[in-house]
Amino acid sequence: MSVTRRTLLTSAAAAALAAQFRIAPASAQEKVIRFSMPQDFTKIYTFVTAEYNQGQRDYISLVNARGGVNGYTILPDVSDHGNDLPRAIEAYERARSQGAVLVDPLSTPVARALTPRALEDKINLITAFSGRSDAADGTVFPYVFPLSPNYWTQIALLVDYFRQQSGDLKGKKICFVHIDTPFGKEPLPVLKRLQEKLGFELSTFPYTPPGNDQSAIWPQVRRTRPDWIVFWGAGVGQTVALTEAIRNGLPLSKVSSSVWLSESDMDVVGREQASGVLKIEPCASGRTPKLIQQILKDVVEPGKGAGPADKVGTAYYNYGVMLASLMVEGVRQAFAKAPQGPISGSWLNAGLTSITNFDAEGLIPPTTVTREDHQGGGKARIARWDGAKFVPVTDWFSAYSDVVWAVIRESAAEFQKSGK
Amino acid sequence: MFYRRAGTLHTRYQDERQLWPFAFDRGLVAVAFAVLLAAPFVFERLYLVTYILPWIIWSTAALGLNLLMGGAGQIHLGYGAVIGIGAYASVHLLRVGVPLEIAMLAGGLMSAAVGSLFGAAALRVKGLYLAMATLAMQYIVDFLISHFEFISGGTQATLQVPPVRFLGVPLSSDGAAYYFALGVCVVVTLFMLNVKRTSFGRALAAVREKDYAAAVIGVDSFRFKLLAFWVSSFIGGVVGSVLAVSYYRAISPDQFHLDLSIQLVAIVIVGGLGSVLGSFFGAALILFAPIVLNHLVGAGAALLGLSISAELRAHLPLMLYGAMIMGFLLWEPLGLAKIYNNARNYLLVWPFRHAR
Repeated sequence: MSVTRRTLLTSAAAAALAAQFRIAPASAQEKVIRFSMPQDFTKIYTFVTAEYNQGQRDYISLVNARGGVNGYTILPDVSDHGNDLPRAIEAYERARSQGAVLVDPLSTPVARALTPRALEDKINLITAFSGRSDAADGTVFPYVFPLSPNYWTQIALLVDYFRQQSGDLKGKKICFVHIDTPFGKEPLPVLKRLQEKLGFELSTFPYTPPGNDQSAIWPQVRRTRPDWIVFWGAGVGQTVALTEAIRNGLPLSKVSSSVWLSESDMDVVGREQASGVLKIEPCASGRTPKLIQQILKDVVEPGKGAGPADKVGTAYYNYGVMLASLMVEGVRQAFAKAPQGPISGSWLNAGLTSITNFDAEGLIPPTTVTREDHQGGGKARIARWDGAKFVPVTDWFSAYSDVVWAVIRESAAEFQKSGK
Repeated sequence: MFYRRAGTLHTRYQDERQLWPFAFDRGLVAVAFAVLLAAPFVFERLYLVTYILPWIIWSTAALGLNLLMGGAGQIHLGYGAVIGIGAYASVHLLRVGVPLEIAMLAGGLMSAAVGSLFGAAALRVKGLYLAMATLAMQYIVDFLISHFEFISGGTQATLQVPPVRFLGVPLSSDGAAYYFALGVCVVVTLFMLNVKRTSFGRALAAVREKDYAAAVIGVDSFRFKLLAFWVSSFIGGVVGSVLAVSYYRAISPDQFHLDLSIQLVAIVIVGGLGSVLGSFFGAALILFAPIVLNHLVGAGAALLGLSISAELRAHLPLMLYGAMIMGFLLWEPLGLAKIYNNARNYLLVWPFRHAR
């Protein structure tokens, strides 16, 4: 084959084109630890993500302003995956190639899709209040960290609170109103086991996603004359459920929900009307906790806050601070174990699994994460909305760990059997 | 200059029937194919796994849908469900130990069976009414998948794909998974390129233009509409199993929601109805424009030192993306394939202005 000018030019052009695609390997920037936070700002979770992420970034700004950890600054790499899996996988792979040690997608479908990749690549996947509940079993999911009470733990806490209030649940009626998706149905196995154990009557009422219309369900709930009501959803479904509960005259002091209820939901429902409703609180809310005060003083007041100042101290904002503080504590522990690094996913993993009795200066219950228990003890408290803020009505506690862990182990064992 | 042609001067039937009559086109196809073949060695893992692989898979899916929408003129808003059926059927078979080769085809057959069942609605209704019927399919399949735990896989509703081999090669590495997807894509592409030249393709074209006119000229529109649904659903089912095995590796119901169907319809329309090349262009645009715009906005903000709020930063790419799609469709309603074709037609006779 003779080499003509044309073939030469063509191949030169092709080579030039191909060269565009080769990016330089992640520049080994000195003294930076990369946290990747591709989250859903635009599709479903919107304000939940915005407040959560604001809390995370404000806490990281606080840590960095104080000189970081061991001389390293933490770089939060925030992007939007819009709950779309190809975009989320792109963000995850990009994070991996840039040397991120941790990925926090805050989305159940995304976390589930990324689980096999994270396990294989040894990158810590944070699945707080999302992802697989059975990831609490660290022996099967060594690189997946809920770091927070999963949905099974949350429902067990609620049922135990009902038992404390009613004395005995035998013969009592509990209504479970839930969005008809895998997430909504998730608490059912634990509820059914607790039903056998405690002898209450359980009625379940699924509503179709996304849940803007639940008017057919709630009169039925009222007719069953429940002793306790749990509604389980996210986003718009939560406000609609609460509105319908109020409209049907159900006593809100007997109505409760998971961690997904916040001040922003109350603004939609009406702050006064909603007073009395219960929720699970994984960390203290409001601006009184010491960490939030410090953030206000050192980050928000100097104008370095990541978002509107009036959102500081809302429930979801504090969840963000809670998770960021746990992640940073993981980094601290990792430095304590291996001060010289090398900084990698498995390095941080060692740190995250040695978080012991960490309470973020009173923001969260004392949390101990071990190789076996990735939800950090499964402690939370019940809080009541008093019309202006959430007031805790119990201390930090955990409940029916035996039942919850039986379900976790069964589900994890099934994962292990099929995934490997 | 590029194409070196003046007029259409075929002296043999074979010449006229070629897929790519011009040497330049053949060269282009060969280069593109060579790049795709060499991709695992040329591109970084990030680009292979998160750009080229999904692009190949989504293009294959769009080709299947294009047979139905562009080829036979039947609207389908439930193609995501079709893909889901294929994915679930094949993953369940893989989990009980059926080899991938069989599981993939069985997934295709399962999708074809269910897809043509709903496609039967097309025999009675047309246009928007058919769109509603297929939308119903999407919802029914979504409902069934998430309501039967033996389909969706327990309370976590996530099915892991076990380690698999295709023709003896384990698909555990990125390269192997990629070549598997590419192989399926090549087969489907060749089928789609050739289908227009068969009696089947011509019958579909007749049905597309006017089904009773087709009946007048002796095309059994009943049979060909159903066949179109069957073939396109079969392709969808096979794509579902490719998607599960080489890209997602764990499937859950929300991967096959209406979003996916709408995305595929958008790919077909933006790419160009009935165009094979358009399916590839459309998939590239719809899949990657949001990601690329996101990075561009981020990089632009960093470069200019602007501090954009997180929410604006997230929504700005979406606005640009919407504007871009509108722009493309305003400029050329026939899609990206037509834009390419316009450029090609211009170059065919360049430096002159008109062909003979």
